[in-house]
Amino acid sequence: MIRCTFALAALTLALGACDAAPSTAPAPAPTPTDAGPAPVQAVPVTSIPGHETLTQDATRKEGPRLMPAETYIRSYLALFGNLAPLEVQTRARGADGSALFDAWNDYLAALGLPDYRVDQPRGNQTNALMMATFERLGVALCDRAVERDLRGTLPLAQRVVFAFDGTPANLTETDFAPRFDVLHRTFLAYPARLAQTDRTRRFFALYQGTVARHRATGAPASRFTPEQAGWATVCYGLLRHPEFHAY
Amino acid sequence: MTDTSRRRFLKVLAGATAAGAATQFPLEALADPPDGANEFFVFIHAAGAWDVMLGLDPRNERRGLIEPPNTDVLDAASLDQWTDAPLDADSQTFRPVRPSGSNITFGPAIGELAALYDRLTVVNGIAVNTVSHPDGTVFAATGRHLAGGRSPESSIDTLIANEFGREALFPLISMNFPSWFVGPNLDRRAMPLRTGSVDTVGRSLNRSELFTSAADRDAVTALLTREARDLAARQQYPDVFNGMGLQYEGLRRMLQSNLRAVFDGAALASLYPTLVPTAAGARYRFFQSGAVNAAFAVEAMKRNVMRCVSFSIGSFDTHNTNYRNQGALQQELFAILARLVRTLDATPHPTLTGERLAAHTHVLVVSEFCRTPQINLSGGRDHYPNGSALIISPAFRSNFVYGSSDPDQLLPRPSGMFSDGMRAIAPPDLLATFLGAFGVDPRRYMRDGEIVRPLLRA
Repeated sequence: MIRCTFALAALTLALGACDAAPSTAPAPAPTPTDAGPAPVQAVPVTSIPGHETLTQDATRKEGPRLMPAETYIRSYLALFGNLAPLEVQTRARGADGSALFDAWNDYLAALGLPDYRVDQPRGNQTNALMMATFERLGVALCDRAVERDLRGTLPLAQRVVFAFDGTPANLTETDFAPRFDVLHRTFLAYPARLAQTDRTRRFFALYQGTVARHRATGAPASRFTPEQAGWATVCYGLLRHPEFHAY
Repeated sequence: MTDTSRRRFLKVLAGATAAGAATQFPLEALADPPDGANEFFVFIHAAGAWDVMLGLDPRNERRGLIEPPNTDVLDAASLDQWTDAPLDADSQTFRPVRPSGSNITFGPAIGELAALYDRLTVVNGIAVNTVSHPDGTVFAATGRHLAGGRSPESSIDTLIANEFGREALFPLISMNFPSWFVGPNLDRRAMPLRTGSVDTVGRSLNRSELFTSAADRDAVTALLTREARDLAARQQYPDVFNGMGLQYEGLRRMLQSNLRAVFDGAALASLYPTLVPTAAGARYRFFQSGAVNAAFAVEAMKRNVMRCVSFSIGSFDTHNTNYRNQGALQQELFAILARLVRTLDATPHPTLTGERLAAHTHVLVVSEFCRTPQINLSGGRDHYPNGSALIISPAFRSNFVYGSSDPDQLLPRPSGMFSDGMRAIAPPDLLATFLGAFGVDPRRYMRDGEIVRPLLRA
């Protein structure tokens, strides 16, 4: 999960500001007074002798890594409302025969947790089965969150995931963006507008596609309204996003 | 260096080079290695260290350090192939098992696998140089000892998956096998899908259709594939996001296939009743999950959704009176292998018309080391730095034993000339030979190990 991306973005902007070429000549240094030494003026880094042609290396020195499984599970529990693991298991399974979840033990190996009983080491890189497990868990969390947050009349302050006002029937991208931003900040910890990809537009297309599929004549029966299904898929996408699993 | 010593040095160097050339031969010299795209691979780890004196490297005499398996310490009645031979006044050892026509002599635990002697390649006297379970396990599977608790190289199943399985739906499913994915030369699709059991995979692939549909979830995965690729394009180190993009695609293919029966232990047991005995009171009772894994391997090969499967069967770690079961444990492992081979004999190849899976499936069975030749004070056997391996593969010379152990001490004896002189075969050599059998240059992946030509089918 790239929790620090916002901070990094701010740092990048700051560095960019330092690196910017001067538009005018540097201001003259203030005259020393009796009040103490004159403050040092900020100058562009390229004006420092020896730095005229040196480029600053602001790249990451290491590729993103898979988040430890314990951290993933802790985040997952937090998104369920900071419940204990067994409470989450009970809530995710539900009593509606939906087969959304089984038991934590079924997924621990696939999530990369080590198993010292059989000398199985920690999984520190993703694989396709891990992706499948992320999806399974993500579907369970998001479907239960839609049931809890969007179905009833739960006050906004008590909503854990979908903490925004009700959804208009025909949502426009303008309506979608602030609501998506709430989810984006919840799952990826920074504003959606700072994303490196055209994320808001892509997720809006995903939302629209899901709503259209559920509204279509002959669509499979669903316990969700088309709008709820749309938000559920947006939630799946953020909870399974590469940035959620890497740091 | 004086002239004399330099001359001697050059002579030794020339000798070593010639010896190396005799053992290491160019891969082009391999007699038409099989096309890996049509081959399937099964890797089995006999976890806990088996007692080779009961199976692949039998001993039935007191000699040197050796106290042979006998009725005092072993439950001989459970072994089908046990025939009493006198040891002393009040205990019996066994008569070695050697079917007519067999060049291999087995111990009594070989059970029903003895009948398939003409399909087997046995490697004895493997110098494992360790008596630590974690180290031996990694050494047997990767050809390298542990370094700081981690393997410095990938395991054989990962390497084979990387070579031949990248396009498969499941390049490699690893169930408690010591699989390692290490190094820069690997495609992330070959990442072992590590899991505890077949059913676990099934649960991870299970989806409820009550809220959203498969099409909805597929659209999410498609979006994430695009996100991963675009993020990778902006990264200084794009490998992780590129890999995730490939794996999202793999997931889509997995979910689009109807694989429920492949990953359901109960369904596999009913599909392959001879491979997975389920009757109450069944003779074979220790390794139900191992038998299910073998059935899974057959079904996955039959559907052509998997290239490699690797799993562990155990535990053979019998330090005390649980050694009484060592023979029965091995007999059950060998029974699973025999039934696997017979099932493969009867199963058509998914892509080669008229061919059977058995002609294109390659099985390697290893253990981390073996057990001591002596019986300890608790009535069991401890760890010992010698090993055996079993290969069932059309690419290998069958009805054949390579290497041997010392008759007095059960330690590895030199088995052939390597580039560093006469010595016993070691795990890296075995793994390099397995790669070489399929035309893969082991040097692409392995630091150590040389191809042992006599092991390969001419």
